[in-house]
Amino acid sequence: MHRSSALPEGNPADNPLAHVIDELAHLLPAQGPISIFIHHNTLHAFEHLPFEEAVEHAAERLGREPFLSESRYREKLASGRIRAKDVDALLRDELGPSATDDVAGVGPRVDLWRAVVLHGIPAATGRELSWILEETDALSRFRSDLPAQARSALAAVREADDRAGERGAVHRLWDACVAAVGRAGERPAPAADIPIRHRDHLLAVYAVDTDAWIHPTLIRFLAGYLDQGLAHWSMPARQLGIHGCFLEIYRTSVAGQCGPWARTFPRIIEEDHAAGRTALGSIAHSLAELGVGDDELADYLSAELLALRGWAGIVRQIEERPDRVPVRDLTVTLRGYLAVRLLCERAALEEAARRVSFDGPLSELRAWTGNRLPVPAPPTTIDRAWRLFHVAQLCGLDVSIVEQWSLRHVAELEAELERIDDLRRRRILHQAFERAIRHRLYDALAHHVPQSPSGPPAFQAVFCLDEREESIRRHLEEVEPACETCSTAGFFNVAMYHESVTDAHPRPLCPVAIRPDHYVGEIETDSDRLVRRSQRLHRRAAGFLGYNVHLGSRLPVRGAVLMTAFGWLALVPLVLRVVFPWLSSRLGVMHETTVGGGPTRLQVDREDAAPPIGKYAGFTVREMAGIVRRVLEDTGIRGRLSPLVLVIGHGSISLNNPHESAHDCGACGGGRGGPNARAFAQMANDARVREVLAAEGLTIDAATWFVGAQRNTCNNDVTFFDEALVPAAVWPLFERAVVALETARRREAHERCRRFDAVPRWYPPAAALAHVQGRAADLAQPRPEYGHATNAFCIIGRRTRTRGVFLDRRAFLVSYDPSRDDDGAILARILAAVVPVVAGISLEYYFSYVDPTGYGCGTKLPHNVTSLLGVMDGAQSDLRTGLPWQMVEIHEPTRLAIVVEGPRDRVSRVVRANPSIDRLVRHRWIWLACLDTDSGAVWELRSTGFVAHTPEQPLPVVVGDSAAWYQGKRGFLPPVAIVPGSAAASDERLVRVPWSG
Amino acid sequence: MVGMMPSIPLTVLVLVGVGSPALLFAVLGGASLVNRPSPERSTGPLAAGAMTVSCVALVLAFVVYGTTATDAQLLSYGAWSTLHEGGIAIEFLVDRLSLGFAALSTAIAGVVSAFSNRYLHRESGYNRYFALLALFVTGMLLVALAGNIAVLFIGWELVGLSSALLVAFFHERPAPPANAFRVFSVYRISDAAMLSAAVLLRHSAGTGSLALLFGGSVESSAALTGANATIIAVLLIVAVAGKSALLPFSSWLPRAMEGPTPSSAVYYGSLSIHAGCFLLLRSAPLLEHAPAARLLAGALGAATSVFAAMTTRVQTDVKSSLAYASLTQVGIIVVEIAIGWYTLAFVHLAGHASFRLLQFLSAPNVLHDLHGIEAAMGDRPVSGGSSLERLIPDRLRHRLFLIALERGFLDSILDRFFVDPFMRVARQLSRFDGWLCDAVLPAEPQAAVPGGDDQDE
Repeated sequence: MHRSSALPEGNPADNPLAHVIDELAHLLPAQGPISIFIHHNTLHAFEHLPFEEAVEHAAERLGREPFLSESRYREKLASGRIRAKDVDALLRDELGPSATDDVAGVGPRVDLWRAVVLHGIPAATGRELSWILEETDALSRFRSDLPAQARSALAAVREADDRAGERGAVHRLWDACVAAVGRAGERPAPAADIPIRHRDHLLAVYAVDTDAWIHPTLIRFLAGYLDQGLAHWSMPARQLGIHGCFLEIYRTSVAGQCGPWARTFPRIIEEDHAAGRTALGSIAHSLAELGVGDDELADYLSAELLALRGWAGIVRQIEERPDRVPVRDLTVTLRGYLAVRLLCERAALEEAARRVSFDGPLSELRAWTGNRLPVPAPPTTIDRAWRLFHVAQLCGLDVSIVEQWSLRHVAELEAELERIDDLRRRRILHQAFERAIRHRLYDALAHHVPQSPSGPPAFQAVFCLDEREESIRRHLEEVEPACETCSTAGFFNVAMYHESVTDAHPRPLCPVAIRPDHYVGEIETDSDRLVRRSQRLHRRAAGFLGYNVHLGSRLPVRGAVLMTAFGWLALVPLVLRVVFPWLSSRLGVMHETTVGGGPTRLQVDREDAAPPIGKYAGFTVREMAGIVRRVLEDTGIRGRLSPLVLVIGHGSISLNNPHESAHDCGACGGGRGGPNARAFAQMANDARVREVLAAEGLTIDAATWFVGAQRNTCNNDVTFFDEALVPAAVWPLFERAVVALETARRREAHERCRRFDAVPRWYPPAAALAHVQGRAADLAQPRPEYGHATNAFCIIGRRTRTRGVFLDRRAFLVSYDPSRDDDGAILARILAAVVPVVAGISLEYYFSYVDPTGYGCGTKLPHNVTSLLGVMDGAQSDLRTGLPWQMVEIHEPTRLAIVVEGPRDRVSRVVRANPSIDRLVRHRWIWLACLDTDSGAVWELRSTGFVAHTPEQPLPVVVGDSAAWYQGKRGFLPPVAIVPGSAAASDERLVRVPWSG
Repeated sequence: MVGMMPSIPLTVLVLVGVGSPALLFAVLGGASLVNRPSPERSTGPLAAGAMTVSCVALVLAFVVYGTTATDAQLLSYGAWSTLHEGGIAIEFLVDRLSLGFAALSTAIAGVVSAFSNRYLHRESGYNRYFALLALFVTGMLLVALAGNIAVLFIGWELVGLSSALLVAFFHERPAPPANAFRVFSVYRISDAAMLSAAVLLRHSAGTGSLALLFGGSVESSAALTGANATIIAVLLIVAVAGKSALLPFSSWLPRAMEGPTPSSAVYYGSLSIHAGCFLLLRSAPLLEHAPAARLLAGALGAATSVFAAMTTRVQTDVKSSLAYASLTQVGIIVVEIAIGWYTLAFVHLAGHASFRLLQFLSAPNVLHDLHGIEAAMGDRPVSGGSSLERLIPDRLRHRLFLIALERGFLDSILDRFFVDPFMRVARQLSRFDGWLCDAVLPAEPQAAVPGGDDQDE
C-alpha cells in the first residue's frame, strides 16, 4: 500500500523544508472561500515594514503596482485633487536640511525635486524615444506645462510666438544635452536579472513557457480536489491528501495524454509512487532532480508558489482554517500542492529540454542556458540626454549652462534623477494626495460646533460603525431631530454561531479574530403546528424542485425531458429579472411574505443540550448582562436611555454577484448582522438581565424597550424583529420611529443614487427607492451597491462632534464617550475590536484599486465561479483574489485616517499597549489623529509625535437638508455642515459654497 | 410546392427583421471606423431599438405566415452579382421552421442585449461588444432564413467571426486571444466543409437554391441521390460538428468561455451552439436520401452526448459545467434529427436554448442558488456521483474520472493527429518554398526560415 502523504511524517516541524514552506506561505493571498468574504490587508505579510517601503518592496517581489500610475496622479494634480502646497510640505519634510544644497549648478535640490515631481519626465527609451524625437514636436517646442519660473527664464532665449526661434532654441538645448552626455562617458549597464526557476531561463532564452503547459492540468486537478460541491461526481481518493490523491488518479499511462509536454509524466509519477515518498520527500526529491541547492531553496520555492498564487493561497487558507469550508474529509496541505506541482514541472521541463536539444540532466539545465541569457545594454546617449533635456527645460536652464556641464555635473545630476525616479515621484504625489483628503477632514472636525438634540432624545438608534450607515444616520437625524444615533461594531458584542429557521448550517456571526463559543438557533414558536408543517413542506418541496432542475439540466435524459417539456418556461423569469427587475424584486417580497415563516424567536437562553457547533447552546444571564453592559458603555448611552432603543444590524442581498458576501457586515465576519441585533435586543429586554445589571449599578428603566432590526444596504429595506413584543406604552413611539426610518431610508437611497452613473444627475427622490430595489434584484447588474468604496476616515468619539456634518458615506463612525473613560479601558477594547476590521477594509480597497488586475480580481464580466471557493477569469485561470473593479471603481486609494476624540496621552498610551495596532500606526498603514475634547483642536501623530494641525479652510455651511448639498452632483463632496432652514436664520456662519468636488 | 409569389407584408417584415441588426452593426462599426465611436448613452438605446424592431418584425412575420401561408416561400431581394449564371442573390426561404428559429433568435438576442446593456455599463469595450452582437444576430438570421447557399455561407461566416472576436474580447490578457484562435481554427474546418458542400451541391444539382434542397421537392431528390447526396450530407455534418462542438471538435467549447458572461450565454448556451442542429434540421430532406450520413450524424450525436454527460459531471467551474451540459443536449437533439423526429427536435432545441440562456446568465449566481437550495432542503444535497459510478472497480473508476477531468484529452489528440502533422507539412512547404526561392533567385539574400518553431496556434 502506498504511504499516503496525509499520514503524519515523523515530526514535520523538524524538517527544514517544512519550515521554509511555512515561512513562504505568508506571501500568498490570504483570501478564504468567497462566500465568507472577509476584508483583510492584502499585504498583511509586509506589515513589519513602513507602508511606503512595504508597498514598493511587495510590488517588486510580487510583480504588482505600489501606487497609481504617474499619469493618474498628474490628472489629479490638474483637477486640483492634489495640491502643490502639499507636495512642497512633503518635500520639506523629506529633504530636511539638504533641501537647499546646490545640485550640479542647476539650483537648490528642493527646486529640482519640486519641478520633477510636479511635472515629471516622460519615460521613454529606445525605439519609443526615437519615435517621439522624430514624429512629435518634442524637439521643436518647449514643454507646454513648464513651471512659471522656468517659463520666464526660457522666454529670455526666445521671442514670443516666434516658432522658428523656439525651434532653434529647443534644438540647441537638445544638442547641448547630447554633447554633455558625450563628455560624461559611458555608464555601466544595469545588473542583469538572473532568473530563478528553470522555466524562467527557458522563457528568457527560448520563449518556451512550461507554466503555460502544466497550469491547465494543475488547475483542473486542484479545482477538482478542493471542490465544495459544484461537480456532481467529486474527485475520488481525496482522503489521501493532495499528493496522495494525485498519484492515485494520475498513475496511469493515460496521463501521458495530458498534453504534448506529458511524454515522461507517467514515468515520473510511477517512480514517485513506487518510492513511497511523502509530500515533503517528494519535494526534496524533485528539488534534487532539478539541482536546486539549499542556498537558493527559499527563492526557488517562493517563485514556484507565486506562479499560481491564487490557488496556492486557497490551499493554504483551507489548510489553516478547515472549518471554513463545508467539505470535511479533505486533507489540504500546501506541501502536497508543491509536491504535485514539481512533478508536473519536471515532466514539462524534460520535454522542453528535449525541444531545445539539451540532453543533460535537468539539474544542469540552468547552467547550460545561463550563458545564453540576454545581456542588458547600457543606457544609450539619447536615453540619457532625454532626461537631462527635460531637467534643463523644467529648471529653465540656459543652453550656455548646459554647454558647460562637465563629467561631474552630469554624474551628479544623473545620480539625483535616480533618486527621484518614477517610483519616488509616485510616492510623493500619493502622499500629497492623501494629505489633502485627510486635512480636509481635520478642518471640518476642528471647525464643527458640536450638536445634539435640544432635550433628552425621543428615541435612540444604535447602528453598526460601517461607513454606509453614516448617511442613514444623518438622514434619520434630519427627519427626526429629536432622536439620537450612535454606533458600535455591528455584531453588538454578541459573538455566536447562528442558524436561522431557513439555514442549513450554522455560521459564525462575529469578527474573524473571534471563534465563538456560543450557539444560538432560531426556533419557531408554538403557534399553529399545522401551518408550520405545511410551510416547511412547501419550502422543502421548492428546494427539492430547485435541486432537481439544477442537477437534471446537467444530466442527459432528465435534461432532455426537462428542456423539451418546460424549457421555454425559463423565458418568464428571464424576461422578468432582466427587463423588469424592480417588479421581480416586489414579487420576491410577496412570495416571501406568503411562504416566509410564522413567528419565531431566538433561543438565546442557555440550554443543557449539546450545541451543533461551539461549546454552549445559548448564553447565561450573567453573560448576557456582560454583553449588554459593554455595548451601553462603549456607545456612551448608559444611564441616559430613551424609552425606545432601536438596534440595527446590516447585511446585503444581491443577485449574480459572487462577491455578495463582501458587502455584508465586516464585524459579523462577512455575515448579516440582523440576528445579532435581535439577540442583543432580546437580552437587553430580559428582566433577569436588567436585575443583574441593576445590582452592578447600571439601571435600565423599566419603561425602556429595545427593538432589533436589520437594514439591507443594497435595497434599503429595514426589517424589524419581534415587533409583536413591543409593549403598548412604547408602541406610539415605535410607530413614530418606524415612520422616521421609512423616510430616512428613502432619502438615503436617493443619496446613494447620486454615485450611480446610470442614474441621471437630477433624480427625483421618489424614484430612488425603486431604483435601488431594482438593482438588488437585477441579474444583469454588476454593481448592486458600491459597498465600502470611497471609505477614507474613521472617527471614534461622540456623535455630537459629527452630527450635522456631511461626511459623504466615507467615515466609519464609532461612538465613544471620552468623558466617562478616564483609564482608557473602554477605548482600548473599542480600538482592539474596531481597528483590525476597518484597517482591513481600507487597505483591501486601496490595493484592489491601485492594481485592479494584480491585487484586485479585475473586471467581473468574465468571472467564472470555481469549486464554490472563488472565481477564475474566463475559461480557466489562476484563482482571482481581491475585489473586482466594479466594486472599487469610484474609490479613492487613501489610507484610513482614524481620529479619536480624547486626550493625546490616553490615546497614545492605549495604542502603544496594543502591539498589532501599534504596528499599523507606527508604520503608517493607518493615520492616527486626536480630536481634543475641550479645545476641538486636531493633533496628528507623525514619526516625531503628535503635531497640531493648523486648519486651512473653514467648514462651509449648507442650509436645508443633505439633498441640498449633494443633489445634482456626481463626484466626491467635501464635508460641509448641514444646517436646517429654521436654525440657519440665527446662524452667523452662513456661507454659500460653490461645489469643488 | 414552393409558392414563388411572396405576400407583401411578409417580405417587408423579414427585410426589417434582418435589416435592423445589420443596420445597427453598420452604424456602430461605421462610427468607430471614422473615429467617432458612439458613446454609451446612445449605443444602448440604439441597440435596444434595433433588437426590439427586429424581434417584433420577425414575430409578426411568424404570425402573418402562420395565418396566410402553409408552403415554404422564397423571398427574393435582388441579386448582388449576376456575373455568371446563378450569381449571388439575396434570397430568404420562409417556412415555419426558419421563421420560428429566426423569431426565437431575435427574442433571445433581445433579452441578452437588454442584459448586456447594464452588465457592460462603463466597460471600455462596450461599443465593440454591441457591434459584434449585432453582427452575430445578423449572421444568425441569415443562417435561419437563407434561401440559397451563398446567403447561408455568409451568415455562417458572420456567426463564426463574431464568435471568435467576442471570445477574444478581453484581449489584454493572453488567454482569451489564444483561445479565440483555437475556436477560430475549428470554425475554419467547419467552414471549409460547408464551402465544399456548397460547391458540390451547385455542381450536382445545378443550383445553389436551398428551396429545392430544403423544400424537399421531387426535383431535388432526383438530382441528389446516391453518392452525391451522401458526400454532401457528410460534408454538412462536418460543418455542423465544428459549429456545434460535436466530437471530435468538442474541446473548443469550454475554451470559448473567455468573453463577458452574456456573450458566452448567447453563443454557447443558446444560439450559436444550436446553429448546427438547425442546419441539420433544415437539410433533413437531404439526410433522408443519405442513410449512411444519417447514421453518421446519429452516431456522432450519441457519442457526443455520452462524452459530454460524463465530462460535465466532474467539471468544477460553473461555465465549463454548463458548456458540457449544453453539449449533452445538443448531442441528443442531433440524435433526434437523425431518427427523424423533427418537431420534437425543434421543440427540444427551443426549450434548451431558452433554459440554458437563463442558466448561463445567472451562472455567477450559483453560490446564491445552491445556498438557497441547501437552506430550503435543510441540508446539503448529497453529491459524490450516482450509483452508476460506484459499480465500477476503483482503478477503472479513477481512470474514467481522469479522462472526464481532462475532457477526454481531446485537445492533445487533436494536437497530435491534426495540428502537429498540419504544422509539419506547413513547415516543410515553407522550407521548400525558401529553397525554391533560393534556387530561382540566388542573388536575393533570403531570411532564414525558423526551424525549431513549435508554436502550435
